[in-house]
Amino acid sequence: MILKLENIHKSFSGISVLQGVSFTITGGKALGFLGRNGAGKTTTIRILMGLFDADQGQILLNGKPFNPQEHSIGYLPEERGLYPKQKVLAQLMYFGQLRGLNNREAKKNALYWLEKLDLLEYQDKRLETLSKGNQQKVQIAETLLCNPDIVILDEPFSGLDPVNSQILKDIMHELIAKESIVIFSSHQMSYVEEFCDEVVLIDKGDIVLTGNLRSIKREYGMNRISLGVIDKEVNRLKNMLPNQIEDIKVVGSKNREIIIELLNRKSKNELLHNLLTLNIDIESFSIYEPTLTDIFVQKVGEAR
Amino acid sequence: MRNFFLVLKFELLNLIKKKAFIVSTAIISLIVLVALTIPIIADKFGFSMFSEDEESAEEMAKIDYGILIEKDAAQLSELKALLPYANIIDAGNKQNLSKLIKSGDIKAGFIIKAPTQYEYLVMNTSAYDSNHHQMDEALLTLYRNRALSEKGIDSSIVSQIYSRPIEHDVRVLGKDSMKNYFYTYILVFGLYFIVIMYGQLIATSIASEKSNRAMEVLITSTSTKSLIFGKVIAGALAGIIQFGFILLVASITYRINASAWENSLDFIFNIPINVLLTFSIFGILGYLFYLFAFGAIGALVSRTEDISASATPITIVFMIAFFISMFSMNTPDSLLLKIASFIPLSSFMAMFIRVSMGNVSKLHVTISLILLAASTGAIGILGAKIYRLGSLMYGNPVKLKTAIKLLRER
Repeated sequence: MILKLENIHKSFSGISVLQGVSFTITGGKALGFLGRNGAGKTTTIRILMGLFDADQGQILLNGKPFNPQEHSIGYLPEERGLYPKQKVLAQLMYFGQLRGLNNREAKKNALYWLEKLDLLEYQDKRLETLSKGNQQKVQIAETLLCNPDIVILDEPFSGLDPVNSQILKDIMHELIAKESIVIFSSHQMSYVEEFCDEVVLIDKGDIVLTGNLRSIKREYGMNRISLGVIDKEVNRLKNMLPNQIEDIKVVGSKNREIIIELLNRKSKNELLHNLLTLNIDIESFSIYEPTLTDIFVQKVGEAR
Repeated sequence: MRNFFLVLKFELLNLIKKKAFIVSTAIISLIVLVALTIPIIADKFGFSMFSEDEESAEEMAKIDYGILIEKDAAQLSELKALLPYANIIDAGNKQNLSKLIKSGDIKAGFIIKAPTQYEYLVMNTSAYDSNHHQMDEALLTLYRNRALSEKGIDSSIVSQIYSRPIEHDVRVLGKDSMKNYFYTYILVFGLYFIVIMYGQLIATSIASEKSNRAMEVLITSTSTKSLIFGKVIAGALAGIIQFGFILLVASITYRINASAWENSLDFIFNIPINVLLTFSIFGILGYLFYLFAFGAIGALVSRTEDISASATPITIVFMIAFFISMFSMNTPDSLLLKIASFIPLSSFMAMFIRVSMGNVSKLHVTISLILLAASTGAIGILGAKIYRLGSLMYGNPVKLKTAIKLLRER
């Protein structure tokens, strides 16, 4: 399955919210959908689910126009989207039936997910009496109730303890293995890095970065060296190195590392040689691999 | 359609399983039941509301009158005969009379100064005090009898001539407004209460779905039309069940106790079938009309606290419709009520009053019904659109005007 968004535009009351959003999602590969608050993520998701019509552009599934009504979409909203005063099993069955399951299927699926998420004992409890993490798990059960082919998860890990996070991670791996289309939106970059092969970064309604996460990292790490030094030296060296060594640029630093970009085809060995000549106390010397956070901050910073 | 029934069932069960619903229905039914059983209860305790034995009732209600007759203005025995409702006490003198009144031993004191003149002494006056009227009557009778016998006429013959009852029958060719007034009043008032109560309830339920974000999941699961129609009709049904149940309790209780009431409330409970039918059809449509409006308001606010402010305009319109209808009950053929009976905002009450109490042609009823049904359908669809629009807008309450403008843009 390949889902393709092409040049989606949307404005509300004359204010443009999305300006030509395009990206592709392939089944079996989770997509990390990233952006700051208010960047246009939720609007894009809502257009994808058919809650709004796009002003311009189209969505294609396997090359044909995509009609959300014909597909089972599991959507996990960022905030809780359940009835606090209803019993857990009763409301799961209600949502299941609304999405087309019959009474028996709804009960069977609800119990399956409650068991899988270790929630069976709470089936007759009112939702509001459950802990935050357990409520989130009920929300996850609700999302996956109808065995959706397209799963959209907005901050699914919020409120989960490490054990529950592991349960959700396993479920996500299962979904990916089943070739489902998984869109994963989160500000917790470590989770995105763990699951997503592809990332899309949206800023002010515009896609600023899209592609394979590993390639992006490689690209952003190219010609960059991470130099580890002792704490006190970081600031002094940041100022000193560009003056003492030719064809380099200090592009940043964090904690005890200075990130150096090699210019004019200067090699790693040349740089290492220069550093040894200057008699600098080196703690580590490695190829720089940016984290997703680094890329996010840099990319959104550039756009500003 | 399947989802509409799913929403309807889910919402209706939620409403009628609520403690508030069960308790309020039970309490109101109990009050109605007790109120309609009062004659039987009273009988058990030895009081009779409809006593045939008038003597005993009078015996219990005898009032003490203190009387002082000056200069043989009247005969005490004659007064006693003419005032059978009172215990006549000869006060002896003025001081004693005043003392008896001040001590509360007697309710009223009379100093008869001449055959046609007396002084009335009382501790506190009240609007319902009729003691001096009794004395007026008694002295007048004495005076007339004496005057007539002085002229040689038998006073009993005169009294017979004067008190000859005239028989008459009433044939109402139009509507007996007097009889219809009470049940019309009760039904319109009941309608007013359920619209206000369930309107608020539906607005609150939708706004809370919005604030707990259940709406986000709902609108991705099914169509907004199924949702809003299911919810509103569930709310309407809950109201009808509650109102209907109370009416049923009242009706059954009265039928069981009708003989104890000596059928004196038949005029409230024997509602003609055409009036009940008009009430049901117009009432239900009007009720739905307002519930859809309240539902849309619930979707425009994000917090339940904002509902009362946002619902004010619609509540005011509804109250105006209600008061026009109520005040026109005495003049059911007035122009104001006629106009109100065609405007969907008020027609469900106004047309019902016209059918129940005034004269109205079938054509007018039909036109009004079509207008009401069409606008109820239209406001339902508009409500669904506003619901869809409002459900995705959070933050400050959206004004109805803004919402309609946004709908037009889309």
